[in-house]
Amino acid sequence: MSRFEKFFAGLSFRGSTPDYAPGDAIEVMVTETRGETAIARIGDSTLRIEGTPADAENTRVLVDVETWDEESHSGTGTYRETVGKSAF
Amino acid sequence: MTEIPHGAPPATDGGAPPDGDEYGVGSESSEPRIEFRGGKWASALPLAFFILWAIVQSGVLGIGDTNGLVVGALIGTTLGMFLVRGDWKSYADTIFEGMTQRVAATAIVAWLWAGMFAQTLQVGGFVEGLIFAADVLNVGAATFPAAAFVLCGLLATGIGTGYGSTVAFVTLFFPAGVLIGASPVLLFAAILSGAVFGDNLAPVSDTTIVSAVTQDADIGGVVASRFKYAIAAAIPAFVAYLVMGSVMSGVGLEGAAELRETATAPGLLHLISMGVVIATAVAGRHIVEAISWGLVVAIAFNLVFGLASASDMVVFTVTEAGALTGLPVVEVGETAGVGGSLYAGAVGFFPLIVLTLLIVAMAQIMIRGGGFEAIQLFLLDTVATTVRRAELTMVLGTAMINGMITINTAAEIAIAPYIARIGEKFNLNGYRRANILDANTSALGYIFPWAGGVLVGYQVMVGPEGLGQEYGPEMVVNPIEVVPYVFHGWFLVIVFLLAAITGFGREYIPDRTSEEVSRA
Repeated sequence: MSRFEKFFAGLSFRGSTPDYAPGDAIEVMVTETRGETAIARIGDSTLRIEGTPADAENTRVLVDVETWDEESHSGTGTYRETVGKSAF
Repeated sequence: MTEIPHGAPPATDGGAPPDGDEYGVGSESSEPRIEFRGGKWASALPLAFFILWAIVQSGVLGIGDTNGLVVGALIGTTLGMFLVRGDWKSYADTIFEGMTQRVAATAIVAWLWAGMFAQTLQVGGFVEGLIFAADVLNVGAATFPAAAFVLCGLLATGIGTGYGSTVAFVTLFFPAGVLIGASPVLLFAAILSGAVFGDNLAPVSDTTIVSAVTQDADIGGVVASRFKYAIAAAIPAFVAYLVMGSVMSGVGLEGAAELRETATAPGLLHLISMGVVIATAVAGRHIVEAISWGLVVAIAFNLVFGLASASDMVVFTVTEAGALTGLPVVEVGETAGVGGSLYAGAVGFFPLIVLTLLIVAMAQIMIRGGGFEAIQLFLLDTVATTVRRAELTMVLGTAMINGMITINTAAEIAIAPYIARIGEKFNLNGYRRANILDANTSALGYIFPWAGGVLVGYQVMVGPEGLGQEYGPEMVVNPIEVVPYVFHGWFLVIVFLLAAITGFGREYIPDRTSEEVSRA
């Protein structure tokens, strides 16, 4: 991203339920674990992530989005790799 | 949304994402390591005691002394130890663990460099240059507050300290404006608004630095992303000062604005020094590198153009003449010591540095004792249940803590872990979290009568040999009167409330991840 673009990044009214498409690869924070499945809550949308390490909660992971339902703003994806952790 | 093909690097816009462990954070275990008498909530005692101390000291007694807060933090940290079950060594170890977190070290390093830079601009006549600009532009009584807002905003953006800018402008610019017939209340409020603007936006501002490093975001990127919010509040604030400048009358003091005679143009050269820091920081260079370049330019301008002497920047004072007293940085004086802008600028941050170390230690005690998690769960389960409510919780929570602890950097450090964790639970990215954290921190630190920024300006008016003594009571403004007129502060709060409700400027982690903090 150029220096100029940094000033205009995010200059929009962003909704509460971002949507993604199968084939997208996104970096997300794993926000909770239900049973053995990791969940990333992105705004009020949810992404269930398969194949994460057991201690994935509060880590940033790269995920391949497999399915996405734009009505319920939820989908599933596959864990690719861990790329970071929570700030605190 | 960022598309990433298989095998490609992660969706960052430069560098690897930061690792929480690298900063000594994000490594809390699920089981509390310290057990307190009274359960998890007792681990909040040190921080709660400190906050209470800060409210009484700064809010009730009106004492804006950071060293006083250090004592409050020390007593709070000691009191917490008496509630620990079992071996107290784990408690003591946690103090060390907290103090050695990189989040604190990063802010401390940036403050030291920022302090040297800010002070070097001051001795180089930057304020006098700004007064010169106002004089040349023929600013009258009605437009003086609007000009004060812009120029104080420029100074604060350059030197990064709203408190320092407030002191400089109330000392020099305020009497000049009042003497030509501007409303003292509106002028003081406009100066405070300028301080808010710079505190919020400057890459060398202590609050900007804390907001960025605690949210794992690079400082240059934070400044760039913050621009839209700052301008959205600054434009209506500027218009409001123009309008109210015509409506509110002055106090009719007679006399020439002698201070305007001190105004000189060359100090304006430091706009370039300031620009160098902003440009290199936004370009993604390390903040130490960015400020160092600005410092080199500022020192060169001071020496080449005679804005300040070498001894204004570094001076060794000795009591007796010797072999080295011929050097430009060695002087003979009554008391031996080291001085100059580089010295005073760095040393000025020492109390805040010690306080920061103690606050992060108290926060770590709360994390290890389980109190942090308990509060976080309460907020996430009952208040921050949707992303909009989460952002409102972050905005109002920051406002509340800053309304109580009026040394705004201290308040920001205390609330930062909650902003990080609540924001992350909704995948809000580091830039958005840093901006929410800093807006109210900057704004409220200059609005209420007990706020540190207001108190330092008021002190210039009422202190020994202050403006009141020099010019009379007309030159003293009651801090309560300025509250409604700190327009940029109020507008910044409103912008962020609207931003949380409407989603203006909202960015998620998948949209754009922050560059690594080490490049901050």
